[in-house]
Amino acid sequence: MSKKTVNIPLGSQHISLLEPIRFKFTCENEKIIGIDSDVGFVHRGVEKACASKFKFDAIGYVVARICGLCAITHSLSYTMAVESMLEGEVSKRAQYLRVLMVELDRLHSHMLCLSHVSENAGFEAMFMRIMGDREPVMDLQEALSGNRVQFDYVSIGGVNRDIESDVAVKVKETLKELRLKVEDYISEFENNWSLSLRYKGIGALSQEDAYRFNTIGPLARATGIKTDVRAESSMLPYGDIGFEMVTKDGGDIYARNMVRLYEMLNSISMCENIIDAMPEGEIFTKLKGKPSGEIVTRLEAPRGELMYYVKGSGKPILDRVRIKTPTFSSIPAFMHIFEGQEYADAPAILASFDPCMSCTAK
Amino acid sequence: MKKIEVTLKNVVNVIREFYKPEKHHFLTLNGLAIDEKTTEIQWIFSEYGKQDEIIVFYVDVTEDDVIPSIVEVIPSAIISQREIVDMFGLKVEDSERGLYLDEDSLQKPLSFGCAL
Repeated sequence: MSKKTVNIPLGSQHISLLEPIRFKFTCENEKIIGIDSDVGFVHRGVEKACASKFKFDAIGYVVARICGLCAITHSLSYTMAVESMLEGEVSKRAQYLRVLMVELDRLHSHMLCLSHVSENAGFEAMFMRIMGDREPVMDLQEALSGNRVQFDYVSIGGVNRDIESDVAVKVKETLKELRLKVEDYISEFENNWSLSLRYKGIGALSQEDAYRFNTIGPLARATGIKTDVRAESSMLPYGDIGFEMVTKDGGDIYARNMVRLYEMLNSISMCENIIDAMPEGEIFTKLKGKPSGEIVTRLEAPRGELMYYVKGSGKPILDRVRIKTPTFSSIPAFMHIFEGQEYADAPAILASFDPCMSCTAK
Repeated sequence: MKKIEVTLKNVVNVIREFYKPEKHHFLTLNGLAIDEKTTEIQWIFSEYGKQDEIIVFYVDVTEDDVIPSIVEVIPSAIISQREIVDMFGLKVEDSERGLYLDEDSLQKPLSFGCAL
């Protein structure tokens, strides 16, 4: 068969990814040989708004609007940056509640990714099952924070709502049931042909390339790289609540799925430990002053490292709020992985990255 | 956060000598408007496995300067460089415009004096 080169777009919206990113593939017959990306369809100018329109104590609520899935990590990263600049102490109880929300967020975000990966494998029943099982996790977040998606839960100095005893019981009961479901997913993803053999070796990234492209989060850990902001930042008490880093080898779709599945088990354990060891005390400490200086804070969002750079000069309006999101960091690795793959596998590979364009086009 | 000042002439060599792919993680390239003419450009790194280790190389530039590309040392930096071109309207070697912004978009959205 003669070789024919054609240009095929994937996106700006595609059935496998309902978010606006466009990849422009150059294909030789069925094989992808070249790629470009365009990520700016929903650019909203949040960074500029944070340094011109809003006072520093309101920005935590502004940046929570960047993303529906990881709103809590955005507001928490920013808030921790400001708290460091104000040199304020946050109570241990507030810190535990913050981690509880972040880990619940990771649970439902990973479930969303795994359900999309199942859908791309043609396993519609698994897609529906995981999405259905995800609902109770979102119900927990609603019970804790008052909202299912945009969590205005974190504030400078602590959190806005304490955990009620009946909610604590509900968290433990729900997570106990979820653990059994996740163990069942692991069995399916390891043994079901559509989810295991179908995805082994597809969309693989070598560890060497993972280092070369500075990959982060599940994408890096699926190649065996031991990197996780939960271990590389001392701002949250992950050392006290049973954090374990999950790594796998292979760097393919299968390995990425496995990293997410085992991380879910660890997140469940950490949430249970938090409920069991919840410290007594206040949930909010009033911090005085205005931010001065500059700081970089990092937090492990479900998709990987989320970075905030904040600079203030003692005024209500900050000089700069820089947001570096996980998907933004991962795009060079995405583009590298696509090269040489079959075009037919592109949607499945894309879903396994778990990209978030709301964050990227902040 | 440890800040190290560099110059446009030596930044690539400084980063080449500093950066070890299996030791350092390149977070991003950051821009900070100092005044109407000057922008501070920061190359931000962390270290794998170390807690709270942030290293920042920085240099002040104007619109007339061309910021050298570090893609030869860190291939993934291309996306951060393209972002700086779009957001600040600055020139970065080998980094084209158009990652975020179309031709008809507002120019330099993060620089001073622009409409949001």
